[in-house]
Amino acid sequence: MGLVAREIEAAGIPTVTASVVRQMTEALPAPRNVMVKFRLGQVFGEPGHAAQQRTILRDSLAALRTVTEPGGIVELPYRWKRGTYEEADAR
Amino acid sequence: MARWWNRLQSNVYTRFHWINELYARAVRKKASADIAMPPLAPPPDHLADARVAIVTAGGVHLKSQEPFDMENPEGDASFRVLPADADVGELVITHDYYDHRAADQDINCVYPIERMKELVDRGELGSLAPRHIGMMGHIYGAQRERLIRQSAPEIAALLREDHVDVVLATPG
Repeated sequence: MGLVAREIEAAGIPTVTASVVRQMTEALPAPRNVMVKFRLGQVFGEPGHAAQQRTILRDSLAALRTVTEPGGIVELPYRWKRGTYEEADAR
Repeated sequence: MARWWNRLQSNVYTRFHWINELYARAVRKKASADIAMPPLAPPPDHLADARVAIVTAGGVHLKSQEPFDMENPEGDASFRVLPADADVGELVITHDYYDHRAADQDINCVYPIERMKELVDRGELGSLAPRHIGMMGHIYGAQRERLIRQSAPEIAALLREDHVDVVLATPG
């Protein structure tokens, strides 16, 4: 994933790359990396949990601004099957 | 390697996350970057005006498209174009190297297209790109070469053609 993200970024399109395996990200970082402490195959969360999935999506896109160096990594605070996901109705 | 064996392994390492980390640590020494890290492209001022595309390595494709090649141990570096307006019921996953039972139930676990549409409806994102990209992870050897020389530049060109402002890349 890191390679493709680099190619896209080099073409002038800003990218954010989500990941669940830190060692893999550190081996071949994408331009902006978001670590999610979830399972492989469920980076956006549990099936049918729309509020959780939207939260991870929103926070991933926020890394467009919070990562300021190429290859930078931000880690989201969420833990698997713990915590609640509340959204303001109008954001 | 037989497909059942690959699938059995992927079920085990999806359940025990530390195996992924150990595996990645073992192979990271071999990983050589062949596309240099580019400078960061400037992000859009407002996501509410941005056109967003997803590139997923979760092996997602339309039922009507050719599945990814599971016979080649080096993986399959080709990609599939996923139209934004495709019915999610038409999307399937071919990828034996991670446990995708959750994503089979809800594709948004690896390809959050419906969630992204909702953010557009809420006014948080500008629009969805007309074309998104499905590919697979687990790419080595000659397939890695193919990814670097052919697929990655083609994907980047396609996204530029669609005037995409932001790309979200997601793993399997």
